[in-house]
Amino acid sequence: MTTVIDVQNLTKRYKDKLALDGVSLTIDENTIYGVLGRNGAGKTTLMSILTAQNFATSGDALVFGERPYENARVLSRICFVRESQKYPDESTPTHAFRAARLFFRNWDQEFAERLIDDFQLPMKTRIKKLSRGQLSAVGVIIGLASRAEITFFDEPYLGLDAVARQIFYDRLLEDYAEFPRTIILSSHLIDEVANLIEKVIVIDGGRILLDEDTDALRGRAANVIGDATKVEAWAQGREVIHRESLGRVTSVTVLGHLDAAERAAIAADGLDLAAVSLQQLVVRLTQNASSSASDTAATITEEVH
Amino acid sequence: MRRTLNVIRLQLINRSTFLWTPAIVLGAAVAMSILVYVLIPSGEPKYGIAAGQAPLWVFLSIGISAMTLTFPFSQAISITRREFFLGTMAAAVLGSALMGGLFLIGGALEKATGGYGLNGWTFYLPWLWEAGPVGAFAVYFTLALFFFVMGFTGATVYKRWGAVTLTTAGVGLALVVIGLVFLATRLELWGQVGVGVAQLGAFGLALCGLAATVALMGVSFLMFRRTLP
Repeated sequence: MTTVIDVQNLTKRYKDKLALDGVSLTIDENTIYGVLGRNGAGKTTLMSILTAQNFATSGDALVFGERPYENARVLSRICFVRESQKYPDESTPTHAFRAARLFFRNWDQEFAERLIDDFQLPMKTRIKKLSRGQLSAVGVIIGLASRAEITFFDEPYLGLDAVARQIFYDRLLEDYAEFPRTIILSSHLIDEVANLIEKVIVIDGGRILLDEDTDALRGRAANVIGDATKVEAWAQGREVIHRESLGRVTSVTVLGHLDAAERAAIAADGLDLAAVSLQQLVVRLTQNASSSASDTAATITEEVH
Repeated sequence: MRRTLNVIRLQLINRSTFLWTPAIVLGAAVAMSILVYVLIPSGEPKYGIAAGQAPLWVFLSIGISAMTLTFPFSQAISITRREFFLGTMAAAVLGSALMGGLFLIGGALEKATGGYGLNGWTFYLPWLWEAGPVGAFAVYFTLALFFFVMGFTGATVYKRWGAVTLTTAGVGLALVVIGLVFLATRLELWGQVGVGVAQLGAFGLALCGLAATVALMGVSFLMFRRTLP
């Protein structure tokens, strides 16, 4: 598979904060990526640097093999509508789409009009008068109808109701099937996009925590619930990323693939086995990473004393 | 090149910004001037300079919003900063030329009607027209462009370094001007300054202003290159 983005050791330091900390990753062509992580994890900063909207402190990011900054060859093939995208003063959605059409060679006007209908977007209202959801719809329509070879969506669903979000997911998948391209989607609504994304990148504290196929990830963890003593005995020696107890019942989330024999043993023990949703897995991994980071910090502090 | 030309089209997609708003402001200001001329019973010539400067402030605000709003949008639709800057400045040149044109039409109208029959003059100011229509056009064109570039540059400084830096820069510039005025007074140069201005004429002065505006554009571009949307 062809690599379209190659990031090496990318670091971004703001005055008092390390937003990206030595990030290295590659993005393949014609794949849908989900960039997941908490607020302030570095998702938007990463996307901004990849699109030359922001600048790295050190490290390198190549898009289509070239640096994107002031590079029309590269930039003309990508589209990045921000979560709080600004539009020209006094402009209406009609103006914004007409402008986008000037710059994206694959722009599909019919598709744009269909999306305008789907989202029931008022075309003559000034953008600054639109609701939050309608503002998001403008960005979503530009992102989809541009058919850019790499399209970034930064939390595109803000203010969109459940129906509108579903329209977005459906149209994205339909159009992607017909016109494959690279989609990089950042989201907090992990379970909503779980069926959409083919690869998952989890960022936490400016570092890449996880970079894997979504399918491979699904089998990576399991939830075992039942009598506390039995569960603890079973979990012995396994990598537990989360533990919850209520009275005599304990639930553990463990990393690692369970084969058929192990599954049978769990059932024979009278324990329940539950699937771990992508959202749960990401949340647990992130919590685990931050608690082990603070453990390390504590150890360092102790060593200093 | 095609993309830079498209930036001009992008800036002019919403025609009210560069064309209608300044024209309407100018029209309204002229209408108000005429009202004032009517109210002044004197037969002496009356000069309504205030009306002419009204659209210039519109250009300042267009310059600011080109930077703070249109620039972030241009980044979303994958325009390089260089393309955006060149296209935007070209659009500003077109808008300023339109202002210069309106100024000429206004002047011709006033000349033909003897100042609206009221001996009131907003555009046809004697000194400006001494160098003919070209001089008058150049002065108004340069002023409009200068206000636009000031707005754009100020907003760039604000975006890159914040309000304190912008204020400091403004105060610094004011101090430089005061210093120059003080020097001219102290060295008794005002006579020479007057002669110099008279020699340059409106057209020469406009050309100096245009050179300064182009220099400011250059400085602006250097700062703009690393600005975040």
